[in-house]
Amino acid sequence: MASFEQHIHDKPTTFISKYIFSFDHKVIGKQYLWYGIFFLLVGGLMALLIRWTLAFPGLPMPFVGNLLFPATNGVVPPDSYAMLFTMHGTIMIFFAITPILIGAFGNFCIPLMIGARDMVFPSLNMMSFWVAVVSGILLLAGLITPLGAAAGGWTSYPTLSTLLGSPGIGQTLWTMSIFVLGVSSLMGAVNYITTIIVLRAPGMGYFDMPLTIWGVWMTSILNAIFIPVLGAGCLLLIFDRVFGTTFFLAGATATQGGGDPLLFQHVFWIFGHPEVYILILPGWGIVSDLLSFFARKPAFGAKATAMCMVSITVLSTIVYGHHMFTTQMSPLLTQTFMTLTMTISIPSAIFFVNWLGTLWKGSIRFTSPMLFSIGVIFVFGLGGLTGLYLATVTTDLYLHDTYFVVGHFHYTMAASVLLAGFAGIYFWMPKMFGVLMNEFWAKVHFWGTFVGLNGVFMGMMLVGYGGMHRRLYDPFVYEFLQKLIPVNTFITYSSLIMGGAQIIFVINFIHSMIKNEKVSDNPWEVGTLEWTIPSPAPHYNFKEIPVVKCGPHEFGNPLLKDKDFQYQTEELVRG
Amino acid sequence: MMRTLLYKSVFFLFTLPAFAAAKKDLSFWEMIAPPEDISENGHLITWLFNYTTGANVFFMVLVLLGIVVFSYLYSAKRHKKAYYTYGDKKAHIIFVGACCLAVFLGIDMNITRISNNDYVNVFMKVPDVEKEDVLRVEVLAQQWMWKFRYAGKDNVFNTPDDVVTLNDLRVPIGKKIYFQITSKDVIHSFYVPNAKRKVDALPGKVTWMWTKFMKAGNWEIACAEMCGTHHYKMQAFLTTYTQDDFNNWYDNAQKYAGLENNPEDPTVFWGWKWY
Repeated sequence: MASFEQHIHDKPTTFISKYIFSFDHKVIGKQYLWYGIFFLLVGGLMALLIRWTLAFPGLPMPFVGNLLFPATNGVVPPDSYAMLFTMHGTIMIFFAITPILIGAFGNFCIPLMIGARDMVFPSLNMMSFWVAVVSGILLLAGLITPLGAAAGGWTSYPTLSTLLGSPGIGQTLWTMSIFVLGVSSLMGAVNYITTIIVLRAPGMGYFDMPLTIWGVWMTSILNAIFIPVLGAGCLLLIFDRVFGTTFFLAGATATQGGGDPLLFQHVFWIFGHPEVYILILPGWGIVSDLLSFFARKPAFGAKATAMCMVSITVLSTIVYGHHMFTTQMSPLLTQTFMTLTMTISIPSAIFFVNWLGTLWKGSIRFTSPMLFSIGVIFVFGLGGLTGLYLATVTTDLYLHDTYFVVGHFHYTMAASVLLAGFAGIYFWMPKMFGVLMNEFWAKVHFWGTFVGLNGVFMGMMLVGYGGMHRRLYDPFVYEFLQKLIPVNTFITYSSLIMGGAQIIFVINFIHSMIKNEKVSDNPWEVGTLEWTIPSPAPHYNFKEIPVVKCGPHEFGNPLLKDKDFQYQTEELVRG
Repeated sequence: MMRTLLYKSVFFLFTLPAFAAAKKDLSFWEMIAPPEDISENGHLITWLFNYTTGANVFFMVLVLLGIVVFSYLYSAKRHKKAYYTYGDKKAHIIFVGACCLAVFLGIDMNITRISNNDYVNVFMKVPDVEKEDVLRVEVLAQQWMWKFRYAGKDNVFNTPDDVVTLNDLRVPIGKKIYFQITSKDVIHSFYVPNAKRKVDALPGKVTWMWTKFMKAGNWEIACAEMCGTHHYKMQAFLTTYTQDDFNNWYDNAQKYAGLENNPEDPTVFWGWKWY
């Protein structure tokens, strides 16, 4: 299906052309992986500081407190606390999940899984990464400005995020950083969409693509449509802050003319709701594939799964109003948004039935990627079902802006995406770096993460149900929240378990790289195209562009004699 | 210095169980119980929450059972050869379709319908100030305080006899309280945990809310929307009185109204004619 010939380029020789300004999608994918893991670490440490403050308000943070906050003897001060949760949210969403799930796996997997030698636009790809680096620097630069980084929450609602509520330059840097990151994501999205449409190997129809590619494809389409909307909102906010316009000022805050702070919320959530699907779609794709790969059975209803991704992509664009129920929109609108939101549960239900259907009568190998994928079914189930309370307008009146919301979106975005991301890393490790990680420690890592994150996010939902609202430096100034102190302490201990488990991952990762034990070309016995080439993948990917003859999930065909799977390059064995 | 702090924090960690035990008279369920519902209609929200929870638990248990049972029965050890199917047989499609319908009709459309009915017929039904017995209160949110304004003797807002309070809302029970809310600076959210309600306070816009309290006592009001560094301190106190107690307080407060409420001074005066 390739509409033009893909040449094999010479192997880059210098350090800079090989590792820094590389055109190779695999190197760029790895660059995104390092970038994402770095920010994951930063955002994770911020989360621990937040948790410490909530569990032990007014107590100095042990070990690092005095280094970070010498003026207060190691106690997190309230303004720093606001910065911490703002930066934690921003970093995790835009600088950790997006680069790992979309940047790293998108870049690495798309050409390998569709049988191409590289992306369609390699230099655009390179630019996309380096623009993302600029954006990361802009964001972190906020931390060293006199008034500190942005502190208006990751949503940065005006008028708090205008000069009225955040006079420092940190908020301007934050807004610019998101704008620049939007440019980077847009470049990536255009590249992904084009590559998937144009460079699929001969014989590969859309339904012969692995579901991972479907997920990344749909994500890219949402990115391409909605990132510019966020970019426009950010630009208007920058105008308000720098040039003195009044797009988002109203009432007593607008001294000359006036706009509407709600306008930003509309712009933000038109982007913001698709964004949650932007983050989770690649994860769904990876999980749908891995469940089939390790249940040794074709993906149950693979076409339906793919079409559900498409319908969720469409539906996600018209439900954003449920984020704004408490701004008192007309009941006509709340009813519309509520009903539309509920419709999403139809494709979601199909996902779950298909995932369980894949496990049903399989021959399941409990490898580490499989454990993580099964974990995703559980945490996404919880995350999805708790969304019902928040999409329902009357229960949302109580739960909105409480920790229940925090628990819900951490289950869907943090827990599911994190587990899917780890599943992907463990699974593609051989093709990325030519090594396998230690299975035993990978499983320890899984259980540590799984137990920890359920403790944290379940705990958050409990305190939210108990009425504790979000973004409070010290919730216990309220008498009705004081009984929740022990639960908050429990959440913090769980978060330490979860954080501690990641140390296992880092050590396992570094250890396997140092040991550098050569791994076979296809250690997982999977038939998709990336497993037909050597490990790690050579810089040209495929010596000959492969010709695809069957689907990606051909497992357990009873007519097969010596193995239980077929490569996509083999003719399907039929009776 | 650093070492003593370190010791202090480590000491605290170990004494924490004792600290938690001080509140041990509460069971786990009492601990996470939501604030007492003292409003007339909060039970509608509680009921819907519980209904959704019931349905959610049912479906979550199914998913969990699926994971656990299939993992046990079909592990490679017990089940050597996988069943070769794409899941596109007629029976498969009917099963998947039935599951979707069960979720969609069983929970989704039900809670949507109930919630919408409650919202339109109860929570968003504007109190009729002319015909009903309603106490009107204007609420001004600003960083980081709540100001409340009662109409006073003449029952007209924005006049010198208005009763104005700071972080101190006092209302009678058994009577509809009709709030109009706005913000002076950034977005706040008027959160009454004991009525299970909140509504945003938006600069340049007046939002509203009504509720009826059924129990006298002392409660709290919070700001639920991030509004700056001291967001967590934006707390107001709610006192619900019997009608007689309320009248006592209100008459007394009326005497001082003019002192605290000078329309000639634009730096402190706020308020609007009722919309």
